[in-house]
Formats: sequence, C-alpha cells, structure tokens
Amino acid sequence: MKKNKLDNFSQYFTNYTELRYHENRDLKIAIRNGDIVGNSLIAKSGISARVFDRGNWGFSSHPITDNSTVKNVIKTASQNAYTLSDKYKRDISLPSSSIVNEVNDFTTKNTKLSQKEIINFLKEIDDYILKTYPQLNSRTLSLSSLDMEKYLLTSDGCNTYSMNPKTSLYIILSMMKDGQPTNLLTSYGTEKLGQFEDRFTTLSAIQGKIDTQVEELMQKVDGAHANAGIQDVILDSALAGVLAHEAIGHTTEADLVLGGSVAGDYLNKLVADPLINLIDFAHTALGETAPVPVYVDDEGTKAKDVTILKNGELKAFMHNKESAQHFGVPPTGNARGFAFYDEPLIRMRNTAILPGTSKLDDMIASVDDGYYLMAYNNGQADSTSEFMFGCTKGYEIKNGVLGRAIKDTTISGVAFDMLKTVSMISDDMHWTNGGYCGKKQPMAVGMGGPAIKCKVNIGGR
Amino acid sequence: MTHKELSSYIVEKIIDAGADKAVCRFKESTTDELSAEAGKINLFRTNYGYEISLVAIIDNKKGLISINQPDLKAIDKAVLDVVELANSSQPDDAHDISPLIENQTFQNGLKKTNKSLMMSRLDEFMKYIETTYPHVILEQVVLSFIASKMYHVNSNGVDYDVYNGLYSFFPMFTSKEGKNISSFNYTGFNAKDIEKPLHTFGTIERLIKESGEQTKTQSISGKFIGDIIFTPDSISTVLGMISRFIGEHSLISGTSVYKEKLNKQITSSKLTLHSKPRSDKLDAGYFLTNDGFIAQDSTIIKKGVLNTFLLGQYGANKTGLNKAVNNGGAWVIDSGEISLNEITSQTKKGIVLGRLSGSSPNENGDFSGVAKNSFYIEDGKIQFPISETMIAGNIVEMLMNINSISSERINFGSSILPFMSLSGATISGK
Repeated sequence: MKKNKLDNFSQYFTNYTELRYHENRDLKIAIRNGDIVGNSLIAKSGISARVFDRGNWGFSSHPITDNSTVKNVIKTASQNAYTLSDKYKRDISLPSSSIVNEVNDFTTKNTKLSQKEIINFLKEIDDYILKTYPQLNSRTLSLSSLDMEKYLLTSDGCNTYSMNPKTSLYIILSMMKDGQPTNLLTSYGTEKLGQFEDRFTTLSAIQGKIDTQVEELMQKVDGAHANAGIQDVILDSALAGVLAHEAIGHTTEADLVLGGSVAGDYLNKLVADPLINLIDFAHTALGETAPVPVYVDDEGTKAKDVTILKNGELKAFMHNKESAQHFGVPPTGNARGFAFYDEPLIRMRNTAILPGTSKLDDMIASVDDGYYLMAYNNGQADSTSEFMFGCTKGYEIKNGVLGRAIKDTTISGVAFDMLKTVSMISDDMHWTNGGYCGKKQPMAVGMGGPAIKCKVNIGGR
Repeated sequence: MTHKELSSYIVEKIIDAGADKAVCRFKESTTDELSAEAGKINLFRTNYGYEISLVAIIDNKKGLISINQPDLKAIDKAVLDVVELANSSQPDDAHDISPLIENQTFQNGLKKTNKSLMMSRLDEFMKYIETTYPHVILEQVVLSFIASKMYHVNSNGVDYDVYNGLYSFFPMFTSKEGKNISSFNYTGFNAKDIEKPLHTFGTIERLIKESGEQTKTQSISGKFIGDIIFTPDSISTVLGMISRFIGEHSLISGTSVYKEKLNKQITSSKLTLHSKPRSDKLDAGYFLTNDGFIAQDSTIIKKGVLNTFLLGQYGANKTGLNKAVNNGGAWVIDSGEISLNEITSQTKKGIVLGRLSGSSPNENGDFSGVAKNSFYIEDGKIQFPISETMIAGNIVEMLMNINSISSERINFGSSILPFMSLSGATISGK
C-alpha cells in the first residue's frame, strides 16, 4: 500500500481515528555447531484502525488491505469504541496534534545481500571460531534482522512514513569443565540501527571481539560465585542502559504511574544522586541518530525528548495522548505498537543516563572489595522500583584491581534508593538496541549510558 | 479456493518448484479482546489474522517462510521464495517432515465467542475486586477469545484440520496503601467457557488477596540456606528450566546436564511430571506437535526418573535419541500427600516464593533472582511479606532435595500444578 492510498480513507473517520499500515519483515538465521538450524523469513503486514469515542477505544486490524477491508476495519473499530462508550461513557477528550507530514526511511544504501550471502558470512564466522578455538564445546550463532515499516494517517492530519531496521547477531559459546557447562553470550551489531548490510561488513571487523569473548569465557569457566549481599560495584557502560530502562524508565511510563508505580509520588523530588541525568531520547542523542529513532509516534504526535531525571530530581513522565490529558501536560510521542494488530502503548524510545567526568580505570581503582559487572542477559522492573537484571560477565575487584571472573548472577536494588548511592560516572557512552522490551507486546528500544559506581544487591552464594 | 484448498495447493506448488519435501501450515483466526487499564475498561479489539508457513526441503536443505497474505499472488511468490531460501541453505540429513499415519480433524472449545458475556464477566470482575479489595489497583486486565482454524498439510499426504476456540484471562495488579506499594503480580487461565465469575478461576483471588497483604514488606537480614516453597504460579519457572535442559538446543549442542540421564534419577522420587496435551482435564491442550505429528500424553519424569527427552523430529535425527510424543508444556504434576499448611508448618526457615524475577539459569543449573510477592517463613509459620530479598541455588541439585509436594493443585487450563518445597537455596537480604 502506498502512502497516498491511506488518504482516501479519511472520509470514513467519524471520531478521533488512527489508521496505520504496518509491515514487519524479520530475517532469522541460526547456526548451531555448524548446522543451519534456522533459515526463515517472516513477514506480517496489515492495516489497523483505532477510534476514540467518549473516553473509550475501539480497535480492529486485518492483514488484507483492499478498500472494502480497510473500510470494514475502520467501521469495526468505531463500533467497538461505541459499544464500550454506550456502557462506560466518560467525559474525556484527547489533546489535538499539530499536522505532521514526515518521511523517515533508514533503508540501507549499501547493496542488499541475498540470504545465501548472509548465510555464507555467518558460516565464515562459525568456521573461524571452530578452527581457532577447537576446545569449545558448542557454538551457536543467531541472527535476527527486523525491518519495521509504517504508514500512519490520523484524523488530526498526521500523514507519515517510517522504516526502522534493527539487526542483532548473538554468539553463544560454551565450554565444559569437570562435566559442567559454562556459556557466554555476546551481542554483535547492536550499537546502532541498520540493516544487515549496514552493521556487518567483514569477518575481520568483528574478529577481535570474538577473540575477547572466547578469552572471557575461559576465565568464566574457572570463575567464582559472587558473594551474596549488598556490594560495591562498577556497572560497565554496557549495563547502564538496562539500569536506565528497568530501574527508572518503566516506573516513569505514565500508564504504569496510573497503575500505582511508586514514581507517582516522587515528581519534582530528589530520587537519585545529583550526578544522575536520565533522558528518553526521541530520535537524536548527543548529536547522533539514536539506535531506535522515533520522529512521530503511532498516535501522530511529533516525538520529543523526555528529561526524566535532572541532577537527580524526577522531572517528567513519558506519555501518550490520553495520559498527557490526564496529567495536564503535552503528549511526548511515546505511543508505539509492535505489529499491525497491536494498539499503541506507552513505550520508551532511547533511554539513557548521561555521561559524567570520571575515567573507568579510576573508578575500578577506587573499589577496595567489590565487582566489575560487564554484561546482562535480561532485566525486569517493578511498580516499587525494585529492579533486577541478570549479569553474565563480571570480575571481582580487590584493592582496586580486577581479580577472578565470576559466574552468572543477578543484581537487584530499589532504584530510588540505589541511585542515591551513585558516586562516580564515567565519561564514555555505550548504546544498544539488542533484545526487546516486553509489555503486553514486544518492542524495539534503545538503551545507553556510561559506567557507574554504586551499591547493589548481588544474588550469589 | 478455500483456505484448506490453498494449503494443498501450496504443498503441490512447492514440490512442482523442485522441492523434495514440502509442508504448509495455514492458520486463520479471529480475536475479540476486552482490556482494562488502571481499573477502567477502556479498549475493545477485534483482530483478524492469517499465518501461512511454508517449508521446503531440497537435497536435505531447508527453508521456511511465513507470510500473512492469503492471496494467490503473495502465495505464488512465497513458494518461489521458500525454494530459493532452501537452495541457499546447507544440507543436513536430519531435516524431515512427518509421515502419514491417519488424517484427522480435531475440535476444541467454542466456534464463536459470546461478546455480551465477556462484557458482563469483565464488568463483574472489576466491580468485585474494587469492592472486596479496595487497595488493589488493576494495572492491566485482558479478557480475550481466540477462534482459530488450522490446516497442516505436507507432501507425505498428511492433512490435519484443527479448530480451537478458547477464552484467556490475564490480570496484572498491584496494591497501594498510602505511600506503601506492593510489587506487581499477575496470573491467568485458559478456558472453554466463562460460565463462572473470573475471580474464581486458578489462583486469581488468592494472589489478589495476597497483594493487599504485601504493601508493607521487610527485607530478610543477612543470608542463610533455606527452603523455597514454589507456588503453582512460580513453579512454572522450575518447569521452564527442566524443559530447557531436556530440550533440543541443550541436547544437540551437548551442553545439557541431563544428556546422560535418560532412565536415571534426576529429581527426588517425590516428583512425577507429565506433559498431557490431550488430557480432558486441560481446556488448553494441543493436538499437533510443532513438526506435524499428532501429540500424545507422556510422563516426563516418573518418581524422579527421566523417562524421555523433549526432542522433535530434527533433534531426534540429529542425536540418534527417540523423538518425544509431544512438545512438552500442558504440564501436570502428581499431587503429594500433605497440604500446603502442613508443608509450611514443616519449614524451619525459608520463603514462599510467589514470583521469581530472575535471569535465565546457566547450563549447569545455577540460577538467581529476586523473590517477589513472597513471604518469609520461620519455625513453621509465615512471618511477613518480603522485599529486597534474593535467592540463588542450583536447580539440578535442589530438585534432588524435594521436601514435599502439596495435595492441593491448581488447574490453570493449560497446566495442573501444586505447591512444591525444595531445600538448598541461598536466601539473602540486605
């Protein structure tokens, strides 16, 4: 469906309406110990309509996008909204948006590769690992390259097109010792947005990182369990983003604030050390395109940065139109749906703690007894701001010097307490768009930050 | 062409295009869904969907394409694409498709939802919780009905039709009393009908009541080795770990801690675990495996002995081990002999684990996480709800030390699960 075809349907809008054509194309290849165990292309496309009527929403979607189906989708969404409003009429109106016409297309400008060429590239990586490191017990390479393409037309006059790609390669390596397996997962290509052709060029470009992954795995095999309890830690810049996302970000999504999040009581209060500045960037961060740029959200709102923490003080929440109306503030452009059949929810875009002035080496040297934590595999937030994330790579710090590697562990803390323990922030910055945030629907998000010295609870032995 | 005829057409076309073997799985569905946010019903969705998966195997090379456009133009293109995809792959003689045994039609649940019943049940639920548990905030509540038809056809002559129509319900909630807030919690169920109030299914009312008791929490001081009583909700975390260790990825990669344990003791003899996708007692079982075989019930662990791995056709061919008769899931654990109250009274020091917010366990079974929606037990009595408390242990070792399994079990529609007490976890507070 071309952009101008959506225009023809505005005549069928009877209330506030969003009409979205949305296509997700996901290329997936998995190689396990040299065998291609996954080789697929998944394409999901369709049209959705969301209608607001007297405080209630109706939604409908269909994969088929011919004229009569699109008209029926708008009609069904309108009927659904009416059905609810007939029973739960509420005196709520939505803030109107300014007219937005934007095209944001991040399709690669490089020559597109065939699936066979991509498979051959991955096989080259796998062959390198096998030949260089025969002592490994297993190797798994898992590539996912998602293109998300959207056309949006709203009754407010928004008419936009976007194509956002996201590519990630995960390499999981495993070694056995005394009959016990130890594995280490490392992500490749996730620092910036782009299609496969943008993110990967030659084996030699990632060879050094693979060598480091193997070296770190060998250290982890002989690693120690962390000591359970509150510990001094340096969170590497690779972890600061997940801290920003899980510990603070989720608690400040306005729908979760309305659902009881503790952040609702802390607006304009000091919740972190004044060193901490945290922003949910819409599309451009520190002068560069963010890993998941959002120029216009799925409600047709022009997306703006949200300064969540300024010098440690909680300044704002992230909003869609309805929550913005509730709180009496402008919408921030955080409403996004993952697939054509998903309604827009309040989602983070590119959430990051801003860099400080310290040097990582000085930060490590300042710890007498603690841990340097360097990689994570998942995380979870809570309405209380008690967060957790799994750490898959880290080292002991003894008298300011890195010591033994540690085995997988989990760290946690109450964000609004833990962020008051931050005492140093490094001057570097690491971004990632690997993985997906889960909240009824999955969603691509960017996360970033510098290294941070703080105290957290470690779940060790 | 009907969608069923299209499925056969796709298989024929893939073979005509040069494939040795072909599969088509064609699914069409309608979803009606009512949602509430922050205590208010405010969204009604109706979604129509197609999922058309095409598999081609050429000279032992496999490709898979999934599209959602059921028109001939899109399908003909997908046929050519999947053949090209297979040709771009590399040969692996473990790839295969299911053989023809007996074609069947399967039917489960209703063909169509009753939308007015959905509205009245959700309305009744919201009002019941608001009046009975005034401190509870229903953050997000989703009641849906999905009606689907699926056709699974392959070039061996396999031709299965599956019709499903099920309700599912998912409430997510927290509690707030003044400035004191509980951790969020959630649960759910699947059912063929909603003829009784929603709060009476599964563990919904139990967990919502507990949420109200969890606004004022304490952290455990220091650390100790103690017992963990997994609830019917949190025990799914343990089942996820077991199924991972006996599943295809771990066995093919050779990293499974259970790879040499078939027909050997892997847990205490107190545990008997079944996968029963065809059980009449589960509303939300399944009829076909992912690779196109008719699913059968099986006992995975019998009195602690591992009876079967969870390998599909590819994994079985790859490892030389037997194929499982199902995908796992649809879990049923045999009930124990003592009640939850007796299990609690026999616990010297430990916690009732409502929810584990944790990371994936390592391949050796080490796991750790935060104990959410949980209670501290000492000297046989529940003492207080906890926060900022972490647990860590090795699930492989802990499963050898099962203290007891409760006589009570909860039927979630997709599984029937008890409480289970394991010892040997490190429990640490601030």
